[in-house]
Amino acid sequence: MQTLPLERAHPAPVLVRGLAVLRTREAGVVLFILVLGLVLHAWTGRFLTPTNLANVLLNSAPTAVVALGMTLVILTGGIDVSVGSTLGVTAVLLGYAAAAGWHLGPLVAVGVLSGLLLGMVNGALVARAGVMPIIATLATLSLYRALGFQLLRGKWIADIPPVLRPVGLGTVGGVPVAALLALALTLLFAYVTARRPLGRHIYAVGGNAEAARLAGIDVARVAFVVYGVTGMLVGVAALLYVGQTGFVQSNTGVGFELQVIAAVVLGGTSILGGRGSVVGSVLGAVLVGQIKNGLILMNVSGLAEGMVAGVLILLAVAVDLLRTRRGAP
Amino acid sequence: MAARLLRAVAADRPRFLLALLLASYALFALTVDGFATLYNTLNMTRYGVEIGLLALGETLVIISGGGSIDLSVGSMLSLAGVVMGLLVKHLGVDVWLAAGAAVLSGAVMGALNALCITALRIPALIVTLGTLYIYGSAALVLTDTVPISGLPERFYVLGQGEVLGIPLQVVLVFLPVAVLLHALLRHTVFGRHLYGVGTNEVAARFAAIPVERVRFWVFTLSGLLAGVAAVVITSRVASARPDAGFGYELQAITIAVLGGTHIAGGEGTVLGTVLGVTVITVLSNGLQLAGIHPIWQLGAVGAVLVGTVVLNQWLARRGMAVGVQGG
Repeated sequence: MQTLPLERAHPAPVLVRGLAVLRTREAGVVLFILVLGLVLHAWTGRFLTPTNLANVLLNSAPTAVVALGMTLVILTGGIDVSVGSTLGVTAVLLGYAAAAGWHLGPLVAVGVLSGLLLGMVNGALVARAGVMPIIATLATLSLYRALGFQLLRGKWIADIPPVLRPVGLGTVGGVPVAALLALALTLLFAYVTARRPLGRHIYAVGGNAEAARLAGIDVARVAFVVYGVTGMLVGVAALLYVGQTGFVQSNTGVGFELQVIAAVVLGGTSILGGRGSVVGSVLGAVLVGQIKNGLILMNVSGLAEGMVAGVLILLAVAVDLLRTRRGAP
Repeated sequence: MAARLLRAVAADRPRFLLALLLASYALFALTVDGFATLYNTLNMTRYGVEIGLLALGETLVIISGGGSIDLSVGSMLSLAGVVMGLLVKHLGVDVWLAAGAAVLSGAVMGALNALCITALRIPALIVTLGTLYIYGSAALVLTDTVPISGLPERFYVLGQGEVLGIPLQVVLVFLPVAVLLHALLRHTVFGRHLYGVGTNEVAARFAAIPVERVRFWVFTLSGLLAGVAAVVITSRVASARPDAGFGYELQAITIAVLGGTHIAGGEGTVLGTVLGVTVITVLSNGLQLAGIHPIWQLGAVGAVLVGTVVLNQWLARRGMAVGVQGG
């Protein structure tokens, strides 16, 4: 597949490019995170401590990891609402395997492969059977939830050995391992979406699927890949989740899909496909984690969390829409 | 002969759902004791009313096209029920008056969704994802998660009473609403505008159809129906639960799509959605009587949904079905 040479044809001067970066959506989210951080610290005096910042990163990591895949799915014009149920099934399998005394290596394989398999079912439904993404993943949301429940038989797994704890809760120089893992994956995904043919194909399919098909892109294959990759990332998130909580119950991951979609949308990815970035989504996940953390620090009832998150989602999108309509990039 | 029969059934969704309904009813009648009794057959319809009302609202919304979808129906149901409970318990409002206020509050919530979508032009998926959180969280905060019970006994007749063995909420609420909505879609200018907007928005604008106004009303109606569903469920379970509608949004969308509503808009009927909710009600009741855990009722809904759509696709590819769609 020939890649388009447009980007490297006339590189703009470094300074101009540097200024352009400041006008992107990602920079807007970073600014928002910084301002909110200062406000929270001024208010509570406890936000900008190393322990608390590590906590925010730790709690954001599973959402951020899955948001990478969700971004690819949404960029192609699709959606995957089954990630919460997939997380549930994968966490149950990990819980059983860890309780049976398996080591870290095989556990990683279990998480990643079972996630991949469940994601590939979504991919097959969307890409091969031609079912609309929202319908296919709504169906698997229900099916996977039932499957996870059946595997647990209504009980929970509490006696999980701490084999996954280094992954979930460990730190390197004060920085959580989970956050470093999320960062590494983010760099990989940013590289693939910006510089590899697959990345261009994903944007092309979301921009105009028919034009992409006529340009020789295998649209079905691209769709299959993004759902499979998302499932695999859910497997990684399940490793982090089980490592963090050491506990699996039948409602593990309920509502997780909405949190991930919220992160992607906050990060500036258009729900209509074709526009957005994985970096924005990861920043969105950090913002979601920061809001949750801030509410706890401010002693706001956890019940009001949804109200704040909902209002922020609407505000962020409304501001972005107003900005783009005025012709800004 | 068999091929012709298959073609006739697969050709349109209502006929297919009717066949599915008869097949699943027959299957449960043969295998599950106490399923096919007159009492059970009539009584099970009670449990389809609330989700059916939400699915009808969802049907209208999805028909209007342009990515229209309402993820907030479950949260609107929860909050409307809480509004009603609080009015009765803390302000001493008459229970039927409070029920009216609950319906109205649903319509107001729907109208707020509609304003964000039509005036601010935020995509419906994002607006209703946001209000799913906001309304649901408001219901929890207002009640501190404690269900409001102890409403006047006379109110429970709506959700627990029956006439000639048929549950009252089916006779007094669901069937009249379904007939009214059917008439609205089939015999009014609004209905024709709705299908027009959903089929081709640009063409609809050229034809001077008020696209924004049509979308405004379908989202408001969806909220109003969630308010009605809130009154029914509060009466049936004898308390206003702040999490009453949790997870209903995805079921409502599933049923609307199962009923033949095209997720991209322009296609869908009240009859299809009513059949869809009937199939789901029969499945849930049969599985429940067979002693299978409720979570599998949800799983069965997912299986039926994907099975129906994939079968339709397969038949379409073989040229056996006409006018079928990708979901």
